[in-house]
Amino acid sequence: MKGPKMLLTSQRQGARLGVALAAVVAATALATAGCSSGSTAKSSASSGKSQITVFNGATGTIAENFNPFSPTQLQPTSGVIYEPLYYYNLASTAAPKPELATAFKWNADGTQLTITTRPGVKWTDGQPFTAKDVAYTFNLIHKIPALNTSGLNATATTTDDNTVVLTFKTKSFTQEPQVLGQTAIVAEHIWSKISEPAKDINKNPVGTGPYKVKSFASESYSLTKNTSYWETGKPQIETVRYISLATADAASAALLAGQVDWMSAFLPNLKDLLNGHKNLAYVNTPALTTSLFTCSNVSLGCTGPQTDPAVRQAIYYAMDRTQVNKLAGGGFAVPASPTMLLPDRDKAWIANPDDVTAPQSADTAKASSILAAAGYTKGSDGILQKDGKRLSLTVQVVAGYSDYISAISVMATQLKAVGIELKSTQLAYNAWNSNETTGKFQLTMDSIGLGASSSPHFTYSPRYSSANTSKVGEVAASNGNYARYSNPKVDAAVAAAAATNDEATQKGQYAIVQKEIVRDLPYIPIYVNSTLTEFNTTNATGWPTNENKYAFPASWKSWDNGIVLKELKLVK
Amino acid sequence: MRFYLQKVMFYVVAFWAALTLNFFIPRLMPGNPVDVMLSKLAAKGPVTAAARHAVELLLGTKTSEPIWSQYWEYLVKVSHGDLGLSVTYYPATVSDIIGQTLPWTITLIGLATIISFILGIGLGQLAGWKRGSWLDNLLPITTMFQAIPYFWLALILVYLLSSRLSIFPLFGGYDVYGAPPGLNFTFIGSALYYGVLPALTIVISSVGGWMLGMRNMMVATLSEDYILTAEAKGLRPRRIMTAYAARNAVLPSLSGFAISLGFVVAGSIVTEQVFSYPGIGSALLNAVQNNDYSLMQGIFLVITFSVLGANLVVDLLYAIIDPRTRARA
Repeated sequence: MKGPKMLLTSQRQGARLGVALAAVVAATALATAGCSSGSTAKSSASSGKSQITVFNGATGTIAENFNPFSPTQLQPTSGVIYEPLYYYNLASTAAPKPELATAFKWNADGTQLTITTRPGVKWTDGQPFTAKDVAYTFNLIHKIPALNTSGLNATATTTDDNTVVLTFKTKSFTQEPQVLGQTAIVAEHIWSKISEPAKDINKNPVGTGPYKVKSFASESYSLTKNTSYWETGKPQIETVRYISLATADAASAALLAGQVDWMSAFLPNLKDLLNGHKNLAYVNTPALTTSLFTCSNVSLGCTGPQTDPAVRQAIYYAMDRTQVNKLAGGGFAVPASPTMLLPDRDKAWIANPDDVTAPQSADTAKASSILAAAGYTKGSDGILQKDGKRLSLTVQVVAGYSDYISAISVMATQLKAVGIELKSTQLAYNAWNSNETTGKFQLTMDSIGLGASSSPHFTYSPRYSSANTSKVGEVAASNGNYARYSNPKVDAAVAAAAATNDEATQKGQYAIVQKEIVRDLPYIPIYVNSTLTEFNTTNATGWPTNENKYAFPASWKSWDNGIVLKELKLVK
Repeated sequence: MRFYLQKVMFYVVAFWAALTLNFFIPRLMPGNPVDVMLSKLAAKGPVTAAARHAVELLLGTKTSEPIWSQYWEYLVKVSHGDLGLSVTYYPATVSDIIGQTLPWTITLIGLATIISFILGIGLGQLAGWKRGSWLDNLLPITTMFQAIPYFWLALILVYLLSSRLSIFPLFGGYDVYGAPPGLNFTFIGSALYYGVLPALTIVISSVGGWMLGMRNMMVATLSEDYILTAEAKGLRPRRIMTAYAARNAVLPSLSGFAISLGFVVAGSIVTEQVFSYPGIGSALLNAVQNNDYSLMQGIFLVITFSVLGANLVVDLLYAIIDPRTRARA
């Protein structure tokens, strides 16, 4: 089943077959399938009604919700239907790209942000977009706590039709990416009439984005081109359809059959799968540092050998990361940095050149000497021990995360060489997540990355500062300091860096943070895991490539999706 | 009359017990809906520390309230038919989600179960009637299909018939591209076409049990004296087979059928996963993964209802088909 017959776009084919099958028998359907698949593939390309199908990870039934403030919103709501003021590309070091705003400026104190909005933009109902809408959006979020997922503490006023001034209560440089890049701007003339903004499902969203809702059903929904979009000549693709699939197997089968144009799924044998499918391509944007999170702090209630920094350092050196990548990461992962920044993108932020990447091969001699210096001696079973306690650790992982599970079994073998026993326990997602937030683990397999912007603040503040942790047994801030790490030097440096928007000062402060965390290793990096995104170039081209990562290409990523969709080109 | 009253009372008590279990079991799971929602949210983009507060306000979670008053509130709400709001699909109500998904499941799994039962009983009846004929050779084959794990059989069929031969669609409940839902031939035709393969896998994997059971009961019944009497009276063989032998032989299968009808809702998770079918099984899976208590309770309620309902109907039917059960009561 190679070649054009697999490329069923299946618009009419399914329906035609359905009727045929209801009346006749399966045998006749076989013949129909054979001939109709070839013909539909051709007809859809020439008909001019361009359509692409996106699988963004939705499973099961889909509930209608286009409310950009709702945590259960459908994913294209943010970025495709509604737009932010600026677009932050986490796949590159590029400066934020102007969307609904054209300029912004902080006052020296970092308490006032002046934003110039883009003229000539229209809502999809034809009304003009003005600075008033922007001010209304921020005031609405400020007024209703249930909408305020970013902890925004700002009020907005307009000075003219194109200027908004946001006033913050405290120094708020670090709020910048949240405000500019993560807030969907809504229309005042629509939302002022909605009585419960937090609960409304916003059936017919009126946005400024490149697409608007065309039709919705609980199995699939589709968006259609916004013909009066402010960026001329964009978007080009007529219809974007979102579908729901139950498993990665179903997704890869649909991709190969040409029924999905854009999806992100980790398929370890991707290169073999795509062999012979010229129209299929993929891009790899490693962004999440897969790490062993350790419950590191005895004073906050952590127990176990991993509370000893020597043990964490030994694990760090005993890993053969090249082998883990080959056996568990499909060879798609890239080296991680012990500073937990991305070696590729954030090189300029990493102070010590030795800390750019973690060692790629195992240094068992170094690991053993660290442990020997810390007082560990070899027991009769080959496992090290100290004070009569074996150096045995348990790592928790989500059942079904197959790449994580195989990574752990590879590491278990590697750590055994230095006398560390690594055991794994597989848990359901909920249980794993609950253990992680409450600190009830020794080691847990998780990843760090994708903050609001590429600034190190969004890694160091949530993950390492004492403010975002809590005692074992109490829930730590979400995506926060699960390692229970607490270091006054780090806290002070993170706060100092947040108080300025001068990059040189920030670099100096982050150098202090890096020195501490590279030594203490509350999170032990393994590698920067791949994010594989698969495309079909039959219906559209212009997808992000390894050379041109103009957006983070994953099909599940909010905001970036809008950028990708408006850059897509029709196939001539 | 007393017989029916007793039956109804029994079902009322069973229903209350099931409701209570529905309430407590989901709450024994680790984690809570707010945490799960936050960590899922974090997978799509950055989540700040303030998000927890906002989500708690949004969902109105009252974890501080004592569990007994939550339980009481739940019973009162259920008696009004209010199943609450789903967390996974917030702000959709549980009734909405069940309404969206249940028809798919009932039609697919329900029809497949009925087809499988009728086919199995029919074939079993014939095989028992004509012992030693070619029909007996069918038995080991159907039993083999039943022995193969269902998901494996389904995956193999999807691979062969959908991926390789493209006879059947790969996923979904209907053609989402060309057949918008509605009461028209395009949509119904499409839904039927998309349902054939999932239904086929269910029938193939379950027909053997019905057939085997019916055949053996047939054989046992045929050796009864009243069959001999009927033959001696000179009744037509067809009448002996259906009205005398099959009517008695089908009784044990009938109660099995009631139970399997009741489990139509619960037994659909695997089918729906393999075929990405938009039914209630995948909704239940999502509910469990998101600690969505209300949705779990709602779906468990539907399962409870269907199991008890199917049993009640068969209990009453039994009394009609087999007068002995009524007389003893």
